[in-house]
Amino acid sequence: MDTDPIVEVRGLTKIYRQGETNIVALNQVTVGIQPGEFVVLMGPSGSGKSTLLHLIAGIDRPTSGDVLVRGINVAALNESRLAEWRNRNVGFVFQSFNLIPVLTAAENVELPLLLTGLNAKRRREHVAAALDLVGLTERARHLPRQLSGGQEQRVAIARALVTDPLLVVADEPTGNLDAKSAHDVLGILQSLSREAGKTVIMVTHDPKAAAFGSRQLHLEKGEIVA
Amino acid sequence: MTILGFIRKNALRNRRRALLSVGSVAVSLFLLVTLMTLIRELTIPPEDVGASLRLVVRNKVSLAQPLPYKQLSLLDRIPGVVAVTPFTFFGGNYRDEKVTSFAQFAVDPVRFTNVFVESRSSPGQIAAWIANRTGCLVGMDTMRRYDMKVGDKLKLTGTFYPCDLELKIEGTYQGSVDDRTVFFHHKYLDELTGDPGSVGTWWIRVAAADASGDVVSAINRTFQNTSAEVRAESERSFQMSFVSMWGNIQVLIESICSVVVFTLMLVTVSTMSMAIRERFRELAILKAIGFRRREIFTFILAESFGLAALGGLIGIGGAALFWGLLDVQKLSNGFLVYFEVVPRTMARAALVAALLGVVSAIGPSLAVARTSVVEGLKTLD
Repeated sequence: MDTDPIVEVRGLTKIYRQGETNIVALNQVTVGIQPGEFVVLMGPSGSGKSTLLHLIAGIDRPTSGDVLVRGINVAALNESRLAEWRNRNVGFVFQSFNLIPVLTAAENVELPLLLTGLNAKRRREHVAAALDLVGLTERARHLPRQLSGGQEQRVAIARALVTDPLLVVADEPTGNLDAKSAHDVLGILQSLSREAGKTVIMVTHDPKAAAFGSRQLHLEKGEIVA
Repeated sequence: MTILGFIRKNALRNRRRALLSVGSVAVSLFLLVTLMTLIRELTIPPEDVGASLRLVVRNKVSLAQPLPYKQLSLLDRIPGVVAVTPFTFFGGNYRDEKVTSFAQFAVDPVRFTNVFVESRSSPGQIAAWIANRTGCLVGMDTMRRYDMKVGDKLKLTGTFYPCDLELKIEGTYQGSVDDRTVFFHHKYLDELTGDPGSVGTWWIRVAAADASGDVVSAINRTFQNTSAEVRAESERSFQMSFVSMWGNIQVLIESICSVVVFTLMLVTVSTMSMAIRERFRELAILKAIGFRRREIFTFILAESFGLAALGGLIGIGGAALFWGLLDVQKLSNGFLVYFEVVPRTMARAALVAALLGVVSAIGPSLAVARTSVVEGLKTLD
């Protein structure tokens, strides 16, 4: 395993303002994540685990501190560069799948590729490979409403992988799934880390889900406690 | 999948709402085009090539006051005047019609042909008309509408004058701006009324359009301080004096147009806002996976513009087709002559549709731009 961390979080602080009150979601968090790790962020509600995930993924801005991914300070990028960076480097998997209901599974997976400049043929090849990876080649032409929850989440994973990102971030990916589907999804994320060498960062409440990770980070009151 | 395909699928995801949106834009723009065409019909008198060379001379007191026939010899001598004809409105009714769709004017046939040079007629028919004191020249529109033929009798019951006309159709004309009117001998009217000394107006052709101002001044000066002072003006100015009578109606119609546009704007903005609000979370996902603000704005704009453009196409095209196919003149009993949906009207309505598309995209786009990805993801959580 590479000794240089792929993600370096240094003194990361996030403060939300609610009326006159400042809420400290993250307080001076420092952590490094190695390439190919499957890091699980755990902790009670409001501990700051989702905030940390969002900051690493570049969909939120820190109040102070740095997030470096492969040496690039994500927090310093402007809105447009940050969007471009996310498209190339981050694959997202959310709790509620968040597929576009009017697009087929294949079209949903193809969405991030529309920004890459690949031609239609190459895009189709990438989409086919991603769907094959999650075992949904047969369902490529199905709309999200024609899929089960587990299948929808696998499509979401395929969408997260299709651009071959550095990081896959998953926020409670099994929260809306039955035990069998959750096991399948976690298995895919684990194999991404173990076999494909992808760096996966996942937020979960579920200790069973956390067991699939290679490292667990526990947060409480905005700080890493273990 | 292409970006355009993605936009199309988004626009049609709620087919009923999309259909109703397109329908409301289409119906409103159909109404707008109809009203703008009506305003045009009422306020812009038809003009032909000869109009710029023609002057109308009427009694300064009122159009209803006649002018003495003896003015003709003086008018003939005014420099710049090429031809003069008496032009007297008869106002008769045809058959048992309450309001006849064509006007009738008593003219001097020989002089008339020198004043209205743009009308096309066969020389043989003109000669026959000139030769027959009770003959008349009938516009082709009227000939077709009443299925008349040359040689037919045409009886007109007087409403202004206490006499009826019994005319014979000697010829037809077309190519003028209004091919409905019937022209007959002024001498015949003089005989019937027993008043050979009066005419309604004089219509004059001048040598050059840029000299018409001098001719107008000369005519007014010539009859100044006489028993029948005149008011000379261009044909367009004469027509506009009738148009000014529609002033309040024009304001009313323009007000309705404004209300139509404003209401349409509210409906479209509201529809687009609802459509985007429902997709706030999806748009946040698009932002998360790398779509930038400008691309999201393009999606929303294209969807909004597409719906407005489709509605516009149906509404404007429908209006042009509908009013083009319909015989408005017949339906309105001659009140509306052309009711033509001209390209300028269509362009103005298309501009309204385009503005609708743009304006209705601005609000939702700003809302999406202002919302961070994290906030967007939380909206329906």
